[in-house]
Amino acid sequence: MNAAVPVFRRSRTSKAVDRLMRGVLWAIALLFVAVLILFVGAILKQGWPVLNLGFLTKMPETLDAGGGIKPQIFNSIYLVMLSLAISLPVGLGAGIYMAAYAGQGRALRFLRLCIETLAATPSIVLALFGMIVFVQAMGWSFSIRSGALTLALLNIPIITRVTEVSLLAVPQELREASYGLGATKLQTIFKVALPYAATGILTGLVLTAGRAFGESAILVFTAGTNASAQFPDFRLTVPGETLSVHLWYVTSDGTLPDAREIAAGTAAVMILVLLALNLLVRLVDRTIRRRTR
Amino acid sequence: MPDAPEASIPAASQRGGYSAEARMDSPSAEAGVPAFRHSRLQRLADRWARLGFLACSLLVVGLIGGILFFLATRGLAAFLPLAGNTGRVLSFSEVFLSADWAPSSDRFGILPFIAGSLGVTGLALLIAAPAGVLTGVFIAKMAPAWMRNLMRQVMDLLVGIPSVVYGIFGLTVVLPLVSRTWLEDAPASGFAVSALILAVMIVPTIVSLSTDAFESLPSSLDEGAQALGSSRWQAIWRVLIPAARPRLLTATVLGLGRAIGEAMAVQMVIGNNPQWIALMRESTDRAPFLRALFTPAATLTTELVQELPNTAAGSTWNNVLFAMGLLLYLLTMVLILATRRLGRGREA
Repeated sequence: MNAAVPVFRRSRTSKAVDRLMRGVLWAIALLFVAVLILFVGAILKQGWPVLNLGFLTKMPETLDAGGGIKPQIFNSIYLVMLSLAISLPVGLGAGIYMAAYAGQGRALRFLRLCIETLAATPSIVLALFGMIVFVQAMGWSFSIRSGALTLALLNIPIITRVTEVSLLAVPQELREASYGLGATKLQTIFKVALPYAATGILTGLVLTAGRAFGESAILVFTAGTNASAQFPDFRLTVPGETLSVHLWYVTSDGTLPDAREIAAGTAAVMILVLLALNLLVRLVDRTIRRRTR
Repeated sequence: MPDAPEASIPAASQRGGYSAEARMDSPSAEAGVPAFRHSRLQRLADRWARLGFLACSLLVVGLIGGILFFLATRGLAAFLPLAGNTGRVLSFSEVFLSADWAPSSDRFGILPFIAGSLGVTGLALLIAAPAGVLTGVFIAKMAPAWMRNLMRQVMDLLVGIPSVVYGIFGLTVVLPLVSRTWLEDAPASGFAVSALILAVMIVPTIVSLSTDAFESLPSSLDEGAQALGSSRWQAIWRVLIPAARPRLLTATVLGLGRAIGEAMAVQMVIGNNPQWIALMRESTDRAPFLRALFTPAATLTTELVQELPNTAAGSTWNNVLFAMGLLLYLLTMVLILATRRLGRGREA
C-alpha cells in the first residue's frame, strides 16, 4: 500500500454516495438470493408434473413418449460410488503427505501447484484424456470403468485439498501429546489426527459426491450416452448413462417426443438430490459443532 | 533422515488451538495412558506408509504430466507427421490464424472458437467480476450475521448446481424470455445469454475467494480509515479494495478459468454455429455489437462437445479437435501460474 494517508472528505455528496453504495451492495446480494430462488423454483415447477413413481421406476424409451429414468438413477449412484472408491485412497494419501510429510519447502509448493492445476483443469479436458487413455488405448470403449476412472480425476484434487486443510486444523497440542505418549508418526496420524479431522473430510466427501453426481462433460465421452437394458447392471464393461448425461442427451438429440418433459423431470430430480446433500452437510456440520462446543 | 517423529510436524497449525481440552477425551481419558507399542514392525510400517503417501502425491504430479503427454500426442498430430496419424499435416497459421472452419472441405481454421471462447468469457467476467467482488466485500465488511450466513448458503447452492441444469434453465427459461421481450420472437441464443448463465456459474468462485481476501485484511486498515473520518463506502473503495487487490485479481483469474473451460451449459444455449464470424460480417445491421450478442456462435469447448463424437480417431478433423483441447489445457496452466505471480506480488 502507498504510504500516503488518504484524505476523506465528509460532505453531503460523500454521505449520499455512501448511502447509495450501501443500497447497491444490498441490491446485488439480494439479487443473487432472488436468482437462486427463481432458478430452483423454475426447475422444480417444470419438473413437478412429470415427477411420479412411474417416471422414477420405468425404463427409458428410445422412440416413444412415457419413458422413465430408472437405470440412469442407478448409474449415477453407481458411478459416484465407484469414482469415490478410487479417488478416496489417493486423495487421502496425497492430503496426508502434504499435511504431515512434505514440510514447508519447495516440494510442498510444487505439490500444491499440481493439485491446483488439476482442480482447475476443465472437465472437458479430463474427458479427452479419459477418452484417449481408457476408451481408446485400453480398449474399454464407453463403459462404467472408463467413466469411473476419469471421474476420479475430478474428485482427487478436491479430496486432497479437504484432507490437507482438515489435518492442518488439528491442534498442535493433540499431536504433541500423542508423540509424548510415544506414538509413532503413523499412529499419530491414524489414531489422533484423522479421527479429529474426520468430520471435515466427511463434509468434503459429500460435496465431492455432489460434484461428481452433476458432472456430465466427462461422462459423455467416457461412460457414453446409453444405459444398459438390464437392471440392475453391475457390470463394469457396459455403457452407463447417468442422470446428468441423460438430461443433456435427450435435450440435444431430440428423437423423443417428450424430451422436454423428461429433461424437466430429470433436472428436478437432480436439484432435489443436491438440496438433500446440502442439507445433510449442514446437519452433520451443526451436530458436530454442538458436540465440540 | 530424521527418524524421530517430532522432526517434521508441520508448523502450519497456527489456526488450531481451539477447544483442545474438549477434544482431549478422544484418545481415552479414563483408561489412562494409551499403550502405544513400538515394535520393529511398527517402525517398518511407518517407513512404508510414508512411501505410500508419497506415491499418492506423485500420482497427482504424474497425472498433470500424463494429461499433457496424451493430449499432446493427439493434438500435435495435426501439425507433425506422428506415427499412426492418418490425417493431413497442417501448418500452424492455417489452424490458428484462419476463421475458415469447414472440415468437410478440409479447412480447419479455429479462430472462430478462440474468439468465441474469449468473447463469452470476457462478457461473463464483465458481469461476474464486479458483482462478485462487491458481494465479497458486502459479506466480509457490511452484512449483518444472518445475511452473511444466508449469502454463504446461497453461494454454496449456486456452485453445486450441475452445468446441465444451468443449461436446461437457460434453454427453457432464459432464451424464450429474452426472445419474447426484446427480440420480437427471434431466436436469442448467442453470446449474451451464454455469458449471463456463465456469470451466475462463476460468481460463487469469485465471491468466496474475495470474501476470504477481505476477511484476511488486518482490521487496523478498516479502523484506521474510519478513524480518519471515512464513510463505510469510502473505506471500502479507497482502502480495502486497493489493499486486497492482488487476491481479488487471483479470484478473477480463477473465475476466468472456470468460465473458459465450461462446456455443457454453454453448448446448450450458444447456438453452436462455427460460421458465426462470417455470418456477422455479412450482416448489414446498424448496431453490430448488439447483433453480435444474439448471433448463434461456438466456443472451443462447445465445438468439442458438438463434433468430437462424429469424428474418426486419427483423422485431420479429430486431430484439430484434440489440438483445441490441448490449447485449453495449456491455458489452464498459464492461468494457474498467473495466480502464483499475483500471489508473489502480495507477499512482496
